Amino acid sequence: MSDVPAIEVLDLQKSFGENHAVQGVSFDVKQGEIFSLLGPNGAGKTTTISMLSCLLRPNNGDARVMGHSIRSDSTGVKSVLGVVPQDIALYEDLTARENLSFWGKMYGLRGSKLKLRVDEVLDVIGLRDRANERVGKYSGGMKRRVNIGVALLHKPKVIYMDEPTVGIDPQSRRNILDSVVKLKDEGMTVLYTTHYMEEAQELSDHIGIMDHGKLIACGTGEELVKLVGQQTRIDLTLNGDGSNVMQMWQAIDGVSRVSAEDGLVSVLVADSNLVLPHLFEAAAQLSIRITSVDIREPNLEAVFLHLTGRALRD
Amino acid sequence: MIRIFDIAFKDLLQLSRDFKTFMFLLIMPIVFTFLFGYAFGGFGGNDSDSRLPVGYISHDDNWITDELHDLLADSEVIRLEENPFLSASNFEQLVANGDLAAAIIVPDGYGRAVLKNKTIRLTVFADTGTQAWTTIEAELLTVASRVDGAVRTASILEQMDLEGVPFEYAFEQTLSAWDEPPISINETSSPAIKKEGGKNNPLAHTSPGMMLQFSIAGLLTAAQVIVTERKSRTLQRLLTTDTRRIHIVVGHHLAIFLLIFTQFTILIMFGQLVLKVDYLRLPGATLLVAFCAALCISALGLLIGILAQTEEQAISFSLIPMFVFAGLGGAWVPLEFTGKTFQIIGHLTPVAWGMDGFENICARGLGFESVLIPSAALVGYAVLFFGLAVWRLNASEEK
Repeated sequence: MSDVPAIEVLDLQKSFGENHAVQGVSFDVKQGEIFSLLGPNGAGKTTTISMLSCLLRPNNGDARVMGHSIRSDSTGVKSVLGVVPQDIALYEDLTARENLSFWGKMYGLRGSKLKLRVDEVLDVIGLRDRANERVGKYSGGMKRRVNIGVALLHKPKVIYMDEPTVGIDPQSRRNILDSVVKLKDEGMTVLYTTHYMEEAQELSDHIGIMDHGKLIACGTGEELVKLVGQQTRIDLTLNGDGSNVMQMWQAIDGVSRVSAEDGLVSVLVADSNLVLPHLFEAAAQLSIRITSVDIREPNLEAVFLHLTGRALRD
Repeated sequence: MIRIFDIAFKDLLQLSRDFKTFMFLLIMPIVFTFLFGYAFGGFGGNDSDSRLPVGYISHDDNWITDELHDLLADSEVIRLEENPFLSASNFEQLVANGDLAAAIIVPDGYGRAVLKNKTIRLTVFADTGTQAWTTIEAELLTVASRVDGAVRTASILEQMDLEGVPFEYAFEQTLSAWDEPPISINETSSPAIKKEGGKNNPLAHTSPGMMLQFSIAGLLTAAQVIVTERKSRTLQRLLTTDTRRIHIVVGHHLAIFLLIFTQFTILIMFGQLVLKVDYLRLPGATLLVAFCAALCISALGLLIGILAQTEEQAISFSLIPMFVFAGLGGAWVPLEFTGKTFQIIGHLTPVAWGMDGFENICARGLGFESVLIPSAALVGYAVLFFGLAVWRLNASEEK
């Protein structure tokens, strides 16, 4: 496998009027790896993918996909690319086989090669026995599988998957995550966007965290967790106004950061066993009851909180 | 290039699974053609017997009376209505009600009286103040005079005692002489107003009118395919393949064109074979107008599909031009019946040009050259609609 990055993103920028959707994003994705863009809704993930798919023209910057520039060689980019959009982009009044056959033709497949690939993909997505049913009659999970299958037809070198597990049941989500790993095993490069921290952590070789159109951190899962200094997050629910107690907690030794969102107070600490009694003590002094405690070991959510001061919510 | 056909085939496959497509493209135009055709007298009007209905009762049993009956029955002006169960008073009532234009009662002894050159009167019930009575009276006098004249001629020949010329033979010869009268008038008219078989078929207007109107109505399903494609993001997905944008647009246009052209073909054949509208008098001209009209309306469908943001908008955007274009363009009422200003406004719509093209062929009896300007106008509209559709798609998708 070549050392040339599968995807090179250089200072990509896109604005819609006053809305700066993507602001100078740069990252590399190695060939054969899974790279996840993690961030909340509106972070700029889909806009980035749209530019990398040549659907949107960047205001500034460039990107190369397998060496093809998105600015000057969109045909070259599209020839090596498979895209799984966030929406179910299928024709619901056609059957799964008819959909795959049509999309195969759009990817340049013809005749026996097309028929063979359609059958292979139907096997991969596990829908061969229901291939002649209209997609409109499928469950959400089955539609998602066909949606992914379409992008695999022409065996692309690079595949973009834009939040492919949104709105489906846990079993279908598991199937999709397993299929993403299989794609990597087959040598494909996967650019995966999600706002589910667990998915990014489970799948990815490298993760880019996006917020407000900026790439605020990039690295492996371990590298990112190190950013928060191996700190533990304690989420607490209080029965009263927490502003005074939060100030007291911030002053406790071992507490690095205190923040509040949606009635939940998050405290980043070095050692939860040492700090937790002090948290209760301070709350008791102000007659505030702690009604729930949730201790979380360092993860990407903590990283996001550390970097943005906000929790990564669905 | 082949992807254009792939996209068109896909669209047609989708449309073939939507019952509304057949409803609007075939069933509705046929139903409305019958409806409008009936309203304009297309059935039972010109094709039926248009002679004046005249009741007839004979109380006489004589061969001269039979001759009188046969001449009246062969009249091109009146149509005898005979019913052995109706009396003279029944016929009088029918005339009073306006169900009959007149009624003729032949009295007993009529034939013998004519043979003896005696005066005898036919009884006629009629409204003598009407134009119909004037016509019937003239026809009755003509027929009665011919019978009387033939009797007199045969009587003279009999009195001359010409050997081998019996009275009946002389009578028949005299009557039959009127089959080839010494003076005849040949009626003719300009080709511009000549109608097939001398009949003006109102369906020659209604059939193309409904065909054009419902070809636009059919756009609502075709446009919905494009709207749904954009809403479901399949259009965006198409754009992530190396399929060219123009191929996608042309593919959709081709699908709608094929749909409408097929609709035209079926409805033209239906009009020709069932409604007796003579589309195939000039097959090449009909083909040209149908092709250009389908090109124009399919481009309109493409524009509607690209302009509409929702399925509801696609329906509105299809129905509004259908009613406006059909109403102004003369699909419901011929523009010839309207004022000059209305005709000029009407010709701002493509339907008026389509109507001109089809009517020049099947209603006005004009030649091939008469469809060239309407066809060119339709192609002009097609280019305009297609250009707007491409411009709008580029503006909306390429940011």
